[in-house]
Amino acid sequence: MNFAVEAKNLIKNFGELRAVDGISFGIKRGETFAILGENGAGKSTTMRMIACRSPLSAGELSVAGLNVSIEDRKVRSLIGVVPQENNLDPDLNVRENLLVYSRYFRIPKETAQARCAELLDFIRLNEKAEAKVEQLSGGMKRRLMIARALLHRPKILLLDEPTTGLDPNVRQEIWEKLEELRRTENLTIVLSTHYMDEAEKLAQRLLVMAQGKIVVEGVPRKIIENRVKKFALEIREADPIELQNVNGIISQRRGQTHIYFAENLERLAPLMSLYGSRQMILRPANLEDVFLQLSDAGAVESE
Amino acid sequence: MNIALAKIDLTDALAVWRRNLRVYLRLWKTELIAPIIEPIFTFFAFGFGVGALIGSEVENLSYLSFVGAGVLAFTVLMRTVFEMTYGAYFRMVYQSTYDAILATPVNAESLAFGEILWAVTKGAVDCIFILPLVVIFGSATSLFTPLSIVPLIFGCVYLGSLGLAITAHVHEIDYFNIFFALFFSTLFLCGAWFPVGNLPEWLQIVAYLIPTTSVIDLCRACLTGNFAARHVYEMFYLCVISILLLEWALRSIRKRMVV
Repeated sequence: MNFAVEAKNLIKNFGELRAVDGISFGIKRGETFAILGENGAGKSTTMRMIACRSPLSAGELSVAGLNVSIEDRKVRSLIGVVPQENNLDPDLNVRENLLVYSRYFRIPKETAQARCAELLDFIRLNEKAEAKVEQLSGGMKRRLMIARALLHRPKILLLDEPTTGLDPNVRQEIWEKLEELRRTENLTIVLSTHYMDEAEKLAQRLLVMAQGKIVVEGVPRKIIENRVKKFALEIREADPIELQNVNGIISQRRGQTHIYFAENLERLAPLMSLYGSRQMILRPANLEDVFLQLSDAGAVESE
Repeated sequence: MNIALAKIDLTDALAVWRRNLRVYLRLWKTELIAPIIEPIFTFFAFGFGVGALIGSEVENLSYLSFVGAGVLAFTVLMRTVFEMTYGAYFRMVYQSTYDAILATPVNAESLAFGEILWAVTKGAVDCIFILPLVVIFGSATSLFTPLSIVPLIFGCVYLGSLGLAITAHVHEIDYFNIFFALFFSTLFLCGAWFPVGNLPEWLQIVAYLIPTTSVIDLCRACLTGNFAARHVYEMFYLCVISILLLEWALRSIRKRMVV
Protein backbone atom coordinates (compact mmCIF):
# COMPACT_ATOMS: atom_id res chain seq x y z
CA MET A 1 0.00 0.00 0.00
CA ASN A 2 2.86 2.31 0.82
CA PHE A 3 4.66 1.74 -2.46
CA ALA A 4 5.00 4.43 -5.09
CA VAL A 5 5.31 1.74 -7.73
CA GLU A 6 4.44 -1.90 -7.23
CA ALA A 7 4.73 -4.65 -9.83
CA LYS A 8 3.55 -8.23 -9.50
CA ASN A 9 4.51 -10.82 -12.08
CA LEU A 10 4.77 -8.16 -14.72
CA ILE A 11 5.00 -9.55 -18.25
CA LYS A 12 5.39 -7.83 -21.60
CA ASN A 13 5.45 -9.65 -24.91
CA PHE A 14 6.23 -8.18 -28.30
CA GLY A 15 4.95 -10.90 -30.59
CA GLU A 16 7.16 -13.90 -29.91
CA LEU A 17 9.64 -11.94 -27.85
CA ARG A 18 9.16 -11.71 -24.10
CA ALA A 19 10.76 -8.39 -23.13
CA VAL A 20 9.75 -8.46 -19.48
CA ASP A 21 9.39 -11.87 -17.93
CA GLY A 22 7.32 -11.96 -14.77
CA ILE A 23 9.10 -9.44 -12.58
CA SER A 24 7.90 -8.27 -9.16
CA PHE A 25 9.26 -5.31 -7.24
CA GLY A 26 8.22 -2.41 -5.02
CA ILE A 27 9.53 1.15 -5.06
CA LYS A 28 9.06 3.04 -1.79
CA ARG A 29 7.74 6.57 -1.65
CA GLY A 30 10.46 9.20 -1.56
CA GLU A 31 13.35 6.96 -2.54
CA THR A 32 15.52 7.01 -5.61
CA PHE A 33 15.34 3.65 -7.28
CA ALA A 34 17.49 2.50 -10.18
CA ILE A 35 16.73 -0.16 -12.77
CA LEU A 36 19.97 -1.45 -14.20
CA GLY A 37 20.69 -3.68 -17.11
CA GLU A 38 22.33 -3.93 -20.49
CA ASN A 39 20.59 -2.77 -23.64
CA GLY A 40 17.65 -5.04 -24.33
CA ALA A 41 17.41 -6.25 -20.73
CA GLY A 42 13.87 -4.89 -20.43
CA LYS A 43 14.49 -1.68 -18.46
CA SER A 44 12.98 0.72 -20.95
CA THR A 45 9.97 -1.52 -21.49
CA THR A 46 9.41 -1.61 -17.74
CA MET A 47 9.70 2.18 -17.60
CA ARG A 48 7.22 2.52 -20.46
CA MET A 49 4.72 0.33 -18.64
CA ILE A 50 5.07 2.48 -15.52
CA ALA A 51 4.49 5.56 -17.71
CA CYS A 52 1.31 3.95 -19.15
CA ARG A 53 2.78 3.98 -22.64
CA SER A 54 2.88 0.25 -23.02
CA PRO A 55 -0.09 -1.96 -22.07
CA LEU A 56 0.79 -4.94 -19.85
CA SER A 57 0.66 -8.40 -21.37
CA ALA A 58 0.04 -9.92 -17.94
CA GLY A 59 0.54 -9.21 -14.27
CA GLU A 60 -0.28 -6.23 -12.11
CA LEU A 61 1.25 -2.80 -11.92
CA SER A 62 0.19 0.03 -9.67
CA VAL A 63 1.61 3.52 -9.61
CA ALA A 64 0.79 5.80 -6.67
CA GLY A 65 -1.71 3.15 -5.64
CA LEU A 66 -3.54 3.30 -8.98
CA ASN A 67 -3.91 0.46 -11.48
CA VAL A 68 -2.13 1.59 -14.66
CA SER A 69 -4.45 -0.43 -16.90
CA ILE A 70 -7.56 1.28 -15.58
CA GLU A 71 -6.62 4.71 -14.27
CA ASP A 72 -3.93 5.57 -16.78
CA ARG A 73 -5.03 9.17 -17.15
CA LYS A 74 -4.78 9.78 -13.42
CA VAL A 75 -1.42 8.01 -13.27
CA ARG A 76 -0.03 10.15 -16.06
CA SER A 77 -1.07 13.29 -14.20
CA LEU A 78 0.96 12.12 -11.17
CA ILE A 79 4.18 11.20 -12.94
CA GLY A 80 6.82 13.21 -14.76
CA VAL A 81 8.59 11.46 -17.61
CA VAL A 82 12.06 12.15 -18.97
CA PRO A 83 12.59 9.73 -21.88
CA GLN A 84 15.93 8.54 -23.17
CA GLU A 85 15.80 10.78 -26.25
CA ASN A 86 15.23 14.49 -25.79
CA ASN A 87 11.92 15.36 -27.38
CA LEU A 88 11.78 19.09 -26.82
CA ASP A 89 9.74 21.00 -29.36
CA PRO A 90 12.17 22.51 -31.90
CA ASP A 91 9.42 24.77 -33.25
CA LEU A 92 9.17 26.59 -29.91
CA ASN A 93 11.62 28.49 -27.72
CA VAL A 94 12.66 27.44 -24.20
CA ARG A 95 9.87 29.21 -22.33
CA GLU A 96 7.22 28.21 -24.88
CA ASN A 97 8.34 24.60 -24.50
CA LEU A 98 7.30 24.78 -20.87
CA LEU A 99 4.17 26.87 -21.35
CA VAL A 100 2.76 24.80 -24.21
CA TYR A 101 3.49 21.60 -22.29
CA SER A 102 1.73 22.92 -19.18
CA ARG A 103 -1.53 23.01 -21.15
CA TYR A 104 -1.47 19.24 -21.50
CA PHE A 105 -1.73 19.11 -17.71
CA ARG A 106 -4.43 21.81 -17.66
CA ILE A 107 -2.34 24.08 -15.48
CA PRO A 108 -4.01 27.52 -15.41
CA LYS A 109 -2.07 30.16 -17.32
CA GLU A 110 -0.93 32.27 -14.33
CA THR A 111 0.14 29.22 -12.35
CA ALA A 112 2.00 27.92 -15.40
CA GLN A 113 3.87 31.18 -15.87
CA ALA A 114 4.92 31.30 -12.22
CA ARG A 115 5.94 27.64 -12.25
CA CYS A 116 7.84 28.16 -15.48
CA ALA A 117 9.87 31.06 -13.99
CA GLU A 118 10.57 28.95 -10.91
CA LEU A 119 11.79 26.00 -12.96
CA LEU A 120 13.92 28.11 -15.31
CA ASP A 121 15.55 29.37 -12.15
CA PHE A 122 16.05 25.86 -10.84
CA ILE A 123 17.75 24.69 -14.06
CA ARG A 124 19.58 28.01 -14.45
CA LEU A 125 18.22 28.69 -17.91
CA ASN A 126 16.67 32.07 -17.17
CA GLU A 127 18.90 33.85 -19.64
CA LYS A 128 18.06 31.34 -22.34
CA ALA A 129 14.30 31.61 -21.91
CA GLU A 130 13.81 33.08 -25.37
CA ALA A 131 16.43 30.91 -27.06
CA LYS A 132 15.56 28.25 -29.59
CA VAL A 133 15.99 24.68 -28.46
CA GLU A 134 18.64 23.96 -31.08
CA GLN A 135 20.85 26.69 -29.60
CA LEU A 136 21.07 24.85 -26.28
CA SER A 137 23.94 22.55 -25.30
CA GLY A 138 23.31 18.88 -24.57
CA GLY A 139 23.32 19.50 -20.83
CA MET A 140 20.91 22.43 -21.09
CA LYS A 141 18.50 20.37 -23.18
CA ARG A 142 18.60 17.61 -20.59
CA ARG A 143 17.94 20.09 -17.80
CA LEU A 144 15.04 21.56 -19.73
CA MET A 145 13.64 18.04 -20.19
CA ILE A 146 13.75 17.55 -16.42
CA ALA A 147 12.11 20.94 -15.82
CA ARG A 148 9.37 20.08 -18.28
CA ALA A 149 8.67 16.84 -16.44
CA LEU A 150 8.31 18.77 -13.17
CA LEU A 151 5.80 21.40 -14.38
CA HIS A 152 2.79 19.73 -12.79
CA ARG A 153 4.57 18.87 -9.51
CA PRO A 154 4.53 15.12 -10.04
CA LYS A 155 4.81 12.64 -7.17
CA ILE A 156 7.04 10.33 -9.18
CA LEU A 157 9.76 11.25 -11.65
CA LEU A 158 10.71 8.64 -14.26
CA LEU A 159 14.06 9.06 -15.98
CA ASP A 160 15.11 6.71 -18.75
CA GLU A 161 18.90 6.80 -19.10
CA PRO A 162 19.13 10.39 -17.85
CA THR A 163 22.82 10.98 -18.58
CA THR A 164 23.56 8.71 -21.53
CA GLY A 165 25.78 10.47 -24.04
CA LEU A 166 26.55 13.48 -21.84
CA ASP A 167 29.96 14.87 -20.85
CA PRO A 168 31.25 13.88 -17.40
CA ASN A 169 30.82 17.38 -15.99
CA VAL A 170 27.30 17.61 -17.37
CA ARG A 171 26.48 14.26 -15.77
CA GLN A 172 27.64 15.62 -12.42
CA GLU A 173 25.42 18.62 -12.93
CA ILE A 174 22.35 16.47 -13.67
CA TRP A 175 23.06 14.26 -10.66
CA GLU A 176 23.25 17.31 -8.43
CA LYS A 177 19.86 18.48 -9.63
CA LEU A 178 18.33 15.07 -9.00
CA GLU A 179 19.82 14.90 -5.52
CA GLU A 180 18.47 18.35 -4.80
CA LEU A 181 15.01 17.31 -5.98
CA ARG A 182 14.94 14.24 -3.80
CA ARG A 183 16.04 16.22 -0.76
CA THR A 184 13.73 19.18 -1.17
CA GLU A 185 10.64 17.86 -2.93
CA ASN A 186 10.20 14.42 -1.37
CA LEU A 187 9.95 13.09 -4.89
CA THR A 188 10.13 9.41 -5.73
CA ILE A 189 12.69 9.07 -8.51
CA VAL A 190 12.84 5.99 -10.72
CA LEU A 191 15.71 5.87 -13.15
CA SER A 192 16.95 3.32 -15.60
CA THR A 193 20.61 3.30 -16.46
CA HIS A 194 23.46 1.17 -17.61
CA TYR A 195 25.96 3.32 -15.74
CA MET A 196 26.96 1.68 -12.50
CA ASP A 197 28.40 4.87 -11.02
CA GLU A 198 25.12 6.61 -11.64
CA ALA A 199 23.11 3.97 -9.81
CA GLU A 200 25.61 3.76 -6.99
CA LYS A 201 25.67 7.49 -6.51
CA LEU A 202 21.97 8.22 -6.75
CA ALA A 203 19.95 5.18 -5.79
CA GLN A 204 19.04 4.02 -2.31
CA ARG A 205 17.88 0.76 -3.81
CA LEU A 206 18.14 -0.84 -7.21
CA LEU A 207 17.45 -3.91 -9.24
CA VAL A 208 19.44 -5.42 -12.06
CA MET A 209 17.62 -6.91 -15.04
CA ALA A 210 18.86 -9.38 -17.62
CA GLN A 211 16.77 -10.95 -20.37
CA GLY A 212 13.58 -9.59 -18.91
CA LYS A 213 14.14 -10.95 -15.40
CA ILE A 214 15.41 -9.52 -12.15
CA VAL A 215 18.88 -10.84 -11.44
CA VAL A 216 19.51 -9.07 -8.16
CA GLU A 217 17.74 -6.47 -6.09
CA GLY A 218 18.49 -4.41 -3.00
CA VAL A 219 20.67 -1.70 -1.44
CA PRO A 220 23.76 -1.02 -3.61
CA ARG A 221 26.37 -1.37 -0.82
CA LYS A 222 24.79 -4.60 0.44
CA ILE A 223 24.61 -6.07 -3.03
CA ILE A 224 28.29 -5.38 -3.55
CA GLU A 225 29.18 -6.95 -0.22
CA ASN A 226 27.01 -9.99 -0.72
CA ARG A 227 27.86 -10.68 -4.31
CA VAL A 228 31.50 -9.72 -4.62
CA LYS A 229 33.82 -9.00 -1.75
CA LYS A 230 34.66 -5.58 -0.36
CA PHE A 231 37.92 -4.92 -2.18
CA ALA A 232 39.16 -5.42 -5.69
CA LEU A 233 42.61 -5.72 -7.18
CA GLU A 234 42.71 -5.00 -10.87
CA ILE A 235 45.76 -5.86 -12.99
CA ARG A 236 45.89 -4.57 -16.55
CA GLU A 237 47.54 -6.47 -19.41
CA ALA A 238 48.20 -9.37 -17.13
CA ASP A 239 47.98 -12.02 -19.75
CA PRO A 240 51.11 -14.16 -19.86
CA ILE A 241 50.57 -14.81 -16.15
CA GLU A 242 47.94 -17.37 -15.22
CA LEU A 243 44.78 -16.27 -13.41
CA GLN A 244 45.35 -17.35 -9.80
CA ASN A 245 42.97 -19.43 -7.76
CA VAL A 246 43.31 -18.68 -4.08
CA ASN A 247 40.98 -19.78 -1.32
CA GLY A 248 38.61 -17.01 -0.19
CA ILE A 249 39.44 -14.88 -3.18
CA ILE A 250 37.20 -14.53 -6.21
CA SER A 251 39.19 -14.26 -9.41
CA GLN A 252 37.88 -13.03 -12.69
CA ARG A 253 39.23 -12.32 -16.16
CA ARG A 254 37.94 -9.46 -18.29
CA GLY A 255 39.79 -9.52 -21.56
CA GLN A 256 43.43 -8.77 -20.74
CA THR A 257 42.60 -7.72 -17.20
CA HIS A 258 42.64 -9.91 -14.10
CA ILE A 259 40.52 -8.95 -11.13
CA TYR A 260 40.61 -10.41 -7.64
CA PHE A 261 38.02 -9.73 -4.96
CA ALA A 262 38.66 -10.24 -1.24
CA GLU A 263 37.16 -9.35 2.12
CA ASN A 264 40.25 -7.39 3.23
CA LEU A 265 43.23 -5.75 1.62
CA GLU A 266 45.82 -7.99 3.30
CA ARG A 267 44.57 -10.99 1.42
CA LEU A 268 45.20 -9.25 -1.88
CA ALA A 269 48.74 -8.10 -1.10
CA PRO A 270 50.49 -11.42 -1.87
CA LEU A 271 48.97 -11.42 -5.32
CA MET A 272 50.43 -8.01 -6.09
CA SER A 273 54.01 -9.25 -5.86
CA LEU A 274 53.16 -11.94 -8.37
CA TYR A 275 52.41 -9.41 -11.10
CA GLY A 276 55.54 -7.34 -10.52
CA SER A 277 55.59 -4.03 -12.31
CA ARG A 278 52.31 -4.36 -14.19
CA GLN A 279 49.74 -1.61 -13.87
CA MET A 280 47.60 -2.35 -10.81
CA ILE A 281 44.68 -0.72 -9.10
CA LEU A 282 43.56 -1.53 -5.59
CA ARG A 283 40.07 -0.23 -4.95
CA PRO A 284 36.75 -0.86 -3.20
CA ALA A 285 34.50 -3.18 -5.18
CA ASN A 286 31.76 -1.36 -7.06
CA LEU A 287 28.48 -2.10 -8.67
CA GLU A 288 30.12 -2.57 -12.02
CA ASP A 289 31.89 -5.63 -10.63
CA VAL A 290 28.55 -7.07 -9.62
CA PHE A 291 26.98 -6.15 -12.87
CA LEU A 292 29.72 -7.67 -14.99
CA GLN A 293 29.69 -10.83 -12.96
CA LEU A 294 25.96 -11.13 -13.25
CA SER A 295 25.85 -10.47 -16.96
CA ASP A 296 28.86 -12.72 -17.59
CA ALA A 297 27.27 -15.57 -15.77
CA GLY A 298 24.01 -15.89 -17.62
CA ALA A 299 23.55 -18.88 -15.33
CA VAL A 300 22.58 -16.69 -12.39
CA GLU A 301 19.34 -15.76 -13.93
CA SER A 302 18.26 -19.34 -14.51
CA GLU A 303 18.62 -20.25 -10.83
CA MET B 1 -17.54 -2.42 -29.09
CA ASN B 2 -14.62 -0.17 -28.34
CA ILE B 3 -15.09 3.13 -30.17
CA ALA B 4 -12.00 5.32 -30.43
CA LEU B 5 -14.05 8.44 -31.14
CA ALA B 6 -15.64 8.12 -27.70
CA LYS B 7 -12.23 8.41 -26.05
CA ILE B 8 -11.60 11.92 -27.36
CA ASP B 9 -11.28 14.57 -24.68
CA LEU B 10 -11.98 17.90 -26.35
CA THR B 11 -9.98 19.99 -23.86
CA ASP B 12 -6.94 17.78 -24.46
CA ALA B 13 -7.43 17.85 -28.23
CA LEU B 14 -7.63 21.62 -28.07
CA ALA B 15 -4.33 21.79 -26.17
CA VAL B 16 -2.71 19.85 -29.03
CA TRP B 17 -4.41 22.13 -31.54
CA ARG B 18 -3.11 25.20 -29.74
CA ARG B 19 0.45 23.91 -29.89
CA ASN B 20 0.19 23.86 -33.68
CA LEU B 21 -1.50 27.25 -33.74
CA ARG B 22 1.40 28.72 -31.77
CA VAL B 23 3.91 27.45 -34.31
CA TYR B 24 1.71 28.59 -37.20
CA LEU B 25 1.35 32.12 -35.83
CA ARG B 26 5.10 32.44 -35.71
CA LEU B 27 5.39 31.50 -39.36
CA TRP B 28 2.10 32.86 -40.64
CA LYS B 29 3.60 35.01 -43.38
CA THR B 30 5.28 32.11 -45.10
CA GLU B 31 2.35 29.85 -44.29
CA LEU B 32 -0.06 32.12 -46.15
CA ILE B 33 1.98 32.92 -49.24
CA ALA B 34 1.70 29.46 -50.79
CA PRO B 35 -2.10 29.14 -50.62
CA ILE B 36 -2.47 32.54 -52.27
CA ILE B 37 0.13 32.18 -55.01
CA GLU B 38 -0.86 28.65 -55.98
CA PRO B 39 -4.50 29.35 -56.87
CA ILE B 40 -3.59 32.51 -58.79
CA PHE B 41 -1.35 30.50 -61.08
CA THR B 42 -3.84 27.67 -61.28
CA PHE B 43 -6.43 30.20 -62.42
CA PHE B 44 -4.05 31.55 -65.05
CA ALA B 45 -3.24 28.06 -66.26
CA PHE B 46 -6.66 26.47 -66.28
CA GLY B 47 -8.96 29.46 -66.42
CA PHE B 48 -7.19 31.37 -69.15
CA GLY B 49 -4.81 28.86 -70.67
CA VAL B 50 -7.00 25.79 -70.92
CA GLY B 51 -10.18 27.89 -70.88
CA ALA B 52 -9.18 29.60 -74.14
CA LEU B 53 -9.16 26.19 -75.85
CA ILE B 54 -12.69 25.54 -74.71
CA GLY B 55 -15.07 27.62 -76.75
CA SER B 56 -18.34 26.20 -75.55
CA GLU B 57 -19.81 26.31 -72.09
CA VAL B 58 -19.28 23.50 -69.62
CA GLU B 59 -22.46 22.38 -67.85
CA ASN B 60 -24.02 25.72 -68.81
CA LEU B 61 -21.16 27.61 -67.17
CA SER B 62 -18.22 29.45 -68.64
CA TYR B 63 -15.09 27.37 -68.15
CA LEU B 64 -13.74 29.92 -65.68
CA SER B 65 -16.85 29.55 -63.54
CA PHE B 66 -16.67 25.79 -63.82
CA VAL B 67 -13.03 25.48 -62.85
CA GLY B 68 -13.28 27.76 -59.75
CA ALA B 69 -14.49 24.94 -57.49
CA GLY B 70 -11.62 22.78 -58.70
CA VAL B 71 -8.99 25.41 -57.95
CA LEU B 72 -10.45 26.09 -54.53
CA ALA B 73 -10.82 22.45 -53.50
CA PHE B 74 -7.47 21.44 -54.96
CA THR B 75 -5.55 24.06 -52.93
CA VAL B 76 -7.41 23.56 -49.66
CA LEU B 77 -7.38 19.74 -49.72
CA MET B 78 -3.72 19.63 -50.68
CA ARG B 79 -2.80 21.67 -47.62
CA THR B 80 -4.62 19.33 -45.28
CA VAL B 81 -3.12 16.25 -46.88
CA PHE B 82 0.42 17.62 -46.65
CA GLU B 83 -0.14 18.64 -43.03
CA MET B 84 -1.33 15.15 -42.06
CA THR B 85 1.32 13.24 -44.02
CA TYR B 86 4.70 14.97 -44.06
CA GLY B 87 3.80 17.41 -41.28
CA ALA B 88 2.46 14.70 -38.96
CA TYR B 89 5.30 12.33 -39.84
CA PHE B 90 7.85 14.97 -38.90
CA ARG B 91 6.19 15.59 -35.57
CA MET B 92 5.75 11.89 -34.89
CA VAL B 93 9.11 10.48 -36.00
CA TYR B 94 11.75 13.22 -36.30
CA GLN B 95 10.65 15.59 -33.54
CA SER B 96 9.02 12.98 -31.23
CA THR B 97 6.38 15.57 -30.42
CA TYR B 98 3.77 12.81 -30.12
CA ASP B 99 5.97 10.96 -27.64
CA ALA B 100 6.28 14.07 -25.52
CA ILE B 101 2.54 14.68 -25.55
CA LEU B 102 1.69 11.08 -24.70
CA ALA B 103 3.77 11.37 -21.51
CA THR B 104 1.07 13.74 -20.23
CA PRO B 105 -2.58 12.94 -19.42
CA VAL B 106 -3.45 13.47 -23.11
CA ASN B 107 -4.38 10.12 -24.69
CA ALA B 108 -3.64 8.92 -28.22
CA GLU B 109 -7.18 9.57 -29.46
CA SER B 110 -7.25 13.18 -28.26
CA LEU B 111 -3.80 13.72 -29.74
CA ALA B 112 -4.87 12.38 -33.15
CA PHE B 113 -8.11 14.34 -33.06
CA GLY B 114 -6.27 17.56 -32.14
CA GLU B 115 -3.92 17.02 -35.07
CA ILE B 116 -6.76 16.43 -37.55
CA LEU B 117 -8.64 19.39 -36.12
CA TRP B 118 -5.56 21.47 -36.77
CA ALA B 119 -5.19 20.26 -40.36
CA VAL B 120 -8.85 21.09 -40.97
CA THR B 121 -8.34 24.55 -39.46
CA LYS B 122 -5.42 25.18 -41.75
CA GLY B 123 -7.56 24.17 -44.73
CA ALA B 124 -10.39 26.40 -43.55
CA VAL B 125 -8.08 29.41 -43.09
CA ASP B 126 -6.73 28.89 -46.60
CA CYS B 127 -10.29 28.67 -47.87
CA ILE B 128 -11.09 32.08 -46.38
CA PHE B 129 -8.10 33.59 -48.17
CA ILE B 130 -8.75 31.87 -51.48
CA LEU B 131 -12.47 32.60 -51.70
CA PRO B 132 -11.95 36.32 -52.54
CA LEU B 133 -9.62 35.19 -55.34
CA VAL B 134 -12.34 32.93 -56.67
CA VAL B 135 -14.67 35.93 -56.65
CA ILE B 136 -12.09 38.19 -58.31
CA PHE B 137 -11.48 35.71 -61.10
CA GLY B 138 -15.21 35.59 -61.68
CA SER B 139 -15.71 31.96 -60.70
CA ALA B 140 -18.16 32.67 -57.89
CA THR B 141 -21.50 33.97 -59.02
CA SER B 142 -23.82 32.90 -56.23
CA LEU B 143 -24.66 34.34 -52.82
CA PHE B 144 -24.14 30.82 -51.47
CA THR B 145 -20.41 31.13 -52.16
CA PRO B 146 -19.31 31.34 -48.47
CA LEU B 147 -21.14 28.05 -47.85
CA SER B 148 -18.58 26.24 -49.97
CA ILE B 149 -16.45 26.07 -46.81
CA VAL B 150 -18.81 23.35 -45.48
CA PRO B 151 -18.06 20.63 -48.06
CA LEU B 152 -14.42 21.68 -47.96
CA ILE B 153 -14.26 21.14 -44.21
CA PHE B 154 -15.71 17.65 -44.69
CA GLY B 155 -13.18 17.09 -47.42
CA CYS B 156 -10.43 18.16 -45.04
CA VAL B 157 -11.72 15.84 -42.29
CA TYR B 158 -11.86 12.84 -44.61
CA LEU B 159 -8.51 13.45 -46.31
CA GLY B 160 -6.80 14.60 -43.11
CA SER B 161 -7.93 11.43 -41.34
CA LEU B 162 -6.89 9.27 -44.26
CA GLY B 163 -3.51 11.03 -44.31
CA LEU B 164 -2.92 10.59 -40.59
CA ALA B 165 -4.01 6.94 -40.66
CA ILE B 166 -1.55 6.27 -43.47
CA THR B 167 1.16 8.21 -41.63
CA ALA B 168 0.59 5.95 -38.62
CA HIS B 169 1.26 2.92 -40.83
CA VAL B 170 4.28 4.36 -42.61
CA HIS B 171 7.70 3.41 -41.29
CA GLU B 172 9.72 5.07 -44.01
CA ILE B 173 8.97 8.51 -45.35
CA ASP B 174 9.41 7.36 -48.97
CA TYR B 175 6.21 5.33 -48.78
CA PHE B 176 4.30 8.58 -49.00
CA ASN B 177 5.26 8.63 -52.69
CA ILE B 178 2.86 5.75 -53.32
CA PHE B 179 0.09 7.51 -51.42
CA PHE B 180 0.64 10.73 -53.33
CA ALA B 181 0.78 8.96 -56.67
CA LEU B 182 -2.65 7.50 -55.89
CA PHE B 183 -3.94 10.76 -54.49
CA PHE B 184 -2.93 12.84 -57.50
CA SER B 185 -4.03 10.29 -60.07
CA THR B 186 -7.48 10.00 -58.56
CA LEU B 187 -7.72 13.77 -58.15
CA PHE B 188 -7.87 14.10 -61.94
CA LEU B 189 -11.04 12.05 -61.99
CA CYS B 190 -12.86 14.10 -59.42
CA GLY B 191 -14.43 16.76 -61.60
CA ALA B 192 -11.99 19.53 -60.76
CA TRP B 193 -10.96 20.32 -64.33
CA PHE B 194 -13.74 18.75 -66.42
CA PRO B 195 -17.24 17.36 -65.71
CA VAL B 196 -17.31 13.80 -64.41
CA GLY B 197 -20.06 13.17 -67.01
CA ASN B 198 -17.44 13.32 -69.75
CA LEU B 199 -15.86 10.11 -68.49
CA PRO B 200 -16.88 6.62 -69.68
CA GLU B 201 -19.65 5.24 -67.51
CA TRP B 202 -17.51 2.79 -65.49
CA LEU B 203 -15.04 5.54 -64.69
CA GLN B 204 -17.89 7.77 -63.56
CA ILE B 205 -18.78 5.15 -60.97
CA VAL B 206 -15.17 5.08 -59.79
CA ALA B 207 -15.13 8.88 -59.68
CA TYR B 208 -18.27 9.08 -57.57
CA LEU B 209 -16.87 6.53 -55.13
CA ILE B 210 -13.98 8.90 -54.43
CA PRO B 211 -15.37 11.35 -51.85
CA THR B 212 -13.33 14.21 -53.34
CA THR B 213 -15.75 14.19 -56.29
CA SER B 214 -18.57 14.99 -53.88
CA VAL B 215 -16.52 17.75 -52.25
CA ILE B 216 -15.87 19.44 -55.58
CA ASP B 217 -19.43 18.98 -56.84
CA LEU B 218 -20.85 20.51 -53.65
CA CYS B 219 -18.35 23.36 -53.82
CA ARG B 220 -19.38 24.09 -57.37
CA ALA B 221 -23.03 24.11 -56.37
CA CYS B 222 -22.28 26.70 -53.67
CA LEU B 223 -20.24 28.90 -56.01
CA THR B 224 -22.77 28.82 -58.84
CA GLY B 225 -26.04 28.35 -56.97
CA ASN B 226 -27.06 25.33 -59.06
CA PHE B 227 -28.24 22.83 -56.43
CA ALA B 228 -29.69 19.40 -57.21
CA ALA B 229 -31.05 16.40 -55.30
CA ARG B 230 -27.79 14.48 -55.68
CA HIS B 231 -26.07 17.03 -53.45
CA VAL B 232 -28.00 15.72 -50.44
CA TYR B 233 -26.68 12.21 -51.06
CA GLU B 234 -23.17 13.57 -51.58
CA MET B 235 -23.30 15.40 -48.27
CA PHE B 236 -24.50 12.26 -46.53
CA TYR B 237 -21.75 10.21 -48.17
CA LEU B 238 -19.12 12.72 -47.03
CA CYS B 239 -20.40 12.61 -43.45
CA VAL B 240 -20.24 8.82 -43.29
CA ILE B 241 -16.81 8.58 -44.90
CA SER B 242 -15.44 11.32 -42.64
CA ILE B 243 -16.60 9.58 -39.46
CA LEU B 244 -15.29 6.19 -40.58
CA LEU B 245 -11.88 7.51 -41.56
CA LEU B 246 -11.63 9.61 -38.41
CA GLU B 247 -12.22 6.48 -36.34
CA TRP B 248 -9.57 4.65 -38.39
CA ALA B 249 -7.05 7.47 -37.89
CA LEU B 250 -7.56 7.49 -34.12
CA ARG B 251 -7.15 3.72 -33.89
CA SER B 252 -4.07 3.77 -36.11
CA ILE B 253 -2.31 6.40 -34.00
CA ARG B 254 -2.99 4.42 -30.82
CA LYS B 255 -1.71 1.25 -32.47
CA ARG B 256 1.45 3.02 -33.58
CA MET B 257 2.19 4.99 -30.42
CA VAL B 258 0.98 2.81 -27.55
CA VAL B 259 2.76 -0.54 -27.82
